[in-house]
Amino acid sequence: MVEKEVVVKSDAGVHARPAMMLVREAMKYQCSVKLIKDDVEADCKSIMSVLGLAIYSGTKLIVRADGEGEKEVVEKLADLIDSDFKNN
Amino acid sequence: MKKKILIKDFIETVEDFDLNIKLLAGERGLEKEISVGDINRPGLTLAGFYDFFAPDRLQIFGLGETAYMNKLSHKEKEEKYGRFFSYDIMCCIFTHNETPDPLFVEYCGKRGVPLLVTDRKTSRFISSLVHILDEMFAETVTVHGTLVDVFGIGVLLFGKSGAGKSECALELIERGHRLVADDMVVIKKIEEALLLGSGTPMLRHHMEIRGLGIVNVRDIFGIRSVRNRKRIDLIVLLEEWDSTKEYDRLGLEDKKYTILDMEIPYLIIPVKPGRNIPVLIETASLNQRLKKLGVFSAIEFDRKIRDWIKTENSN
Repeated sequence: MVEKEVVVKSDAGVHARPAMMLVREAMKYQCSVKLIKDDVEADCKSIMSVLGLAIYSGTKLIVRADGEGEKEVVEKLADLIDSDFKNN
Repeated sequence: MKKKILIKDFIETVEDFDLNIKLLAGERGLEKEISVGDINRPGLTLAGFYDFFAPDRLQIFGLGETAYMNKLSHKEKEEKYGRFFSYDIMCCIFTHNETPDPLFVEYCGKRGVPLLVTDRKTSRFISSLVHILDEMFAETVTVHGTLVDVFGIGVLLFGKSGAGKSECALELIERGHRLVADDMVVIKKIEEALLLGSGTPMLRHHMEIRGLGIVNVRDIFGIRSVRNRKRIDLIVLLEEWDSTKEYDRLGLEDKKYTILDMEIPYLIIPVKPGRNIPVLIETASLNQRLKKLGVFSAIEFDRKIRDWIKTENSN
């Protein structure tokens, strides 16, 4: 299991499009990928779960992956969040 | 996970339950955290008996307490209120729309003790309050799944992303059942007796269907297709059909799934093209209803077979 803490900086928070970017990235991997905010865990492969976390600017998140490619996916997602969803 | 419940959150929830409640004084104390979900009737305390007094509980003043306070002389009030408010009182609530005397109100203001008044009768109010506090203090967990009310049975569908939970829920809604929550289900344990599931306020009754995107179930299918909360009676795991795995063919054993230390009946339904999962879920729900009533189809059938074998043998 690999995890990493990130802080969301984008002003708009994680609305539909950024959520989709996170899910799309997570779906490329076989391992389980979770986002954790204040003890609430969301499946990063489900758009609704990610949106349901209500992630706004300044939210602290833990990205956690377990399984094949865990290290890579955590890095990719952390970069995506760090770069204000400007990747791709 | 320990939750922080502030008095202002508590007041908001009480208002949601339509218990008319008004704040008269002590606004300063609204940010205080309620640490225990219990209540206290401070009659004995006011009369001077302070053993076992729990100031951190919600103090409920009924007709008895107010009548007693009204009989006190100004001097007695000063002395008794002085002692009462020397403790860290959490919050005072007066029922029957009784407003306390100005001295009491002044004390509440000075000490930052929220003073609330309701028009409800004491015993009714307390019973609603206990219910509300139980729910606010309930252990909570958020799970990834879909909760549907099928024939009055709360069915929680589990399965990996893409297992077809949402599609299955959609078909069930089409058949007249109701959606409680999709993807994120908040589960609360109420009084060690039941698990109550609901959606998060943000996602309420929205679903993501691959190929369609996000849809609002309530807007599309109408108010009868949704409900806000439901007790969880059955958990169904949808998983891809694995030909090397043994699936339950008899249903003689009751499998359980544990959430928040509560055991809930549990089924694994293998999914493969051509299997009509919603029909299976409807049947499983009806079977669960029978079991609740004490009728266990598989065991009953087994008994019939054994009886028949016995009579055939003796003939």
